[in-house]
Amino acid sequence: MDIKTLKVNLLKFQSIIALLIMVIILSLLTDRFLTTENSWNIMRQISVNLIVSVGMTLVILTAGIDLSVGSVLALCGAITAGLLKFGAGFADANIYIGFTLFGAITGGILAGSLLGWFNGLVITRFRVPPFVATLAMLTIARGLTMLWTGGFPITGFEGNMAFIGTGWLLGIPMPVWIAAAVVAGAVVLTKKKPLGRHIYAVGGNEKAAALSGLNVRRIKIIVYTIAGALAAVGGIIVTSRLDSAQPNAGMGLELDSIAAVVIGGTSLSGGKGSIMGTVQGALIIGVLNNGLVLLNVSPFWQQVVKGVVILLAVVIEKFNSRSE
Amino acid sequence: MLKKLPVILIFTSLLVAGFSGCGRSSGPEKGQMAVVISTLNNPWFVVLGESAAAKARELGYSAVIYDSQNNSAREAEHFDNIIAMGYDAILFNPTDADGSVLNVSRAKEAGIPTFCMDREINSRDAAVTQLLSDNFTGCVKLGQYFVQEMNKQGTYVEILGLVGDNNTWNRSRGFHSVVDEFPGFRMVAQQSADFDRNRAMEVMESMLQANPDIDAVFAGNDAMALGAYQAILAAGKTDQIKVFGFDGSDDALNSIAAGRLTATVMQFPVMMAEMSAVLADEYINGRTDFDSRTPVEVVLVTSDNVSEFLD
Repeated sequence: MDIKTLKVNLLKFQSIIALLIMVIILSLLTDRFLTTENSWNIMRQISVNLIVSVGMTLVILTAGIDLSVGSVLALCGAITAGLLKFGAGFADANIYIGFTLFGAITGGILAGSLLGWFNGLVITRFRVPPFVATLAMLTIARGLTMLWTGGFPITGFEGNMAFIGTGWLLGIPMPVWIAAAVVAGAVVLTKKKPLGRHIYAVGGNEKAAALSGLNVRRIKIIVYTIAGALAAVGGIIVTSRLDSAQPNAGMGLELDSIAAVVIGGTSLSGGKGSIMGTVQGALIIGVLNNGLVLLNVSPFWQQVVKGVVILLAVVIEKFNSRSE
Repeated sequence: MLKKLPVILIFTSLLVAGFSGCGRSSGPEKGQMAVVISTLNNPWFVVLGESAAAKARELGYSAVIYDSQNNSAREAEHFDNIIAMGYDAILFNPTDADGSVLNVSRAKEAGIPTFCMDREINSRDAAVTQLLSDNFTGCVKLGQYFVQEMNKQGTYVEILGLVGDNNTWNRSRGFHSVVDEFPGFRMVAQQSADFDRNRAMEVMESMLQANPDIDAVFAGNDAMALGAYQAILAAGKTDQIKVFGFDGSDDALNSIAAGRLTATVMQFPVMMAEMSAVLADEYINGRTDFDSRTPVEVVLVTSDNVSEFLD
């Protein structure tokens, strides 16, 4: 293997290498980092961002963006919480519907899918740029969350709701199971299914994709719907972990999510990237967040460090794509 | 031109709707008050805004609530509109101690008095008066109870709110002004969770990894205290670690009654908001002797007195 191929190979595994370096440095600095307990801790903490980021990856692969994920997460978490705790009532018609846990979760995910579908519809039918359409949805969904909750948290659930966020199954935390299932599904979708190839094709060159007979509108609507549904799943997990649906949950989550996707090497101009890259990106952010707190780094510095890491990742990615 | 017709129609209808909305507010009332709130994304401020507006209406004024969405620029726009529409008074919860001063001065120049609620602005004469919860004193009381509860010794962690916010540091300083006097206490970590419940849970999870043997947590508001409690619960350490908060939110009061949180400091947003409307009414009716600050009482809530605050 000559030096050039070695270099290419090194660049290919940039995220994993970066992750390894961080893990080594952190475990040298504190013996509390590389413990089984803390590892599960990190995995559980990144689960929500990872689930949301899988949807974000699919959207970004089509050269789109979804800024509304944080608000959709809050709204769907609140809808599930509200349905579970209070049910749905129509005082005028004297109708009251109580919800089981399964029913409430289905309601939340359906709401997320609907909002995502609406994003896709606005983007494809009315040709609104994704940045603007989902920026509008960011505000709309946050407003709907306030209307639904009246601005107050919905707290305290009976039964198995807590299990989703805090339970363990076969020695692995539930959020990690859910994230793993979402990632596995998305990997199969992008690698094995025709729809996955079509998503890359749309992002790579939309005109060519349309000319070769792909239904570009349909593909885009599907990815935004998936992104909305996954944001809802994230919202349900957050609600369960806190035993409370917070009206201001998920603020700024779109940035964490885009950061995970970009650090994972997915190109913001579409058509290039992978789900596994996003897993690495989410891990890097999670390890960084955890490590900085373990080391008791000042909150002022933490923000600077995180920004520098994102910047480095993107610079390396650009360098990488130029050398190919 | 024809293509644009629908757009123009929508715009006109919006404008008409907007004007008719304003038209409704001018009636036989004594005048109109504007309630400008830093953010309605937080239940605490929702209560503050709605109580101020309700009291103003009760006193015979019309009242409109403006949401600045934690954005000083949006706040400035609200003040532009309020000055243009000639309101009689502004009940104001500022977004920023420095950034909001200019807005208040502009209103003053236009002859509209401003009454600041809960968050202060760094000016002594721009507003008629500032109604402030004494965050520092509240946390002094909390710190004293902390010392007593912990028998003057132990290791603890602190969870700060937004590190750019005045109240964050007033609370932290008040607490430390008492606790740091006792050499038996050791703060092993101080981290920020932005007043957010979820972030506090995650920060607490990580801090518990680094410091599994701590005895207490002091959080800068109740949302963070409750988030930290969830992390402690998941780690099975609720018997070992005492949790202290600030605000007196309903969730926190219920948690104190249930023995989950140890103590919080109750603020009285309703009282503060109503008092601002009353003072504004007095100002409009000719009262002039206002202090630049009007302190609003805060009360320590523990398992001993929590029942007084539960409905």
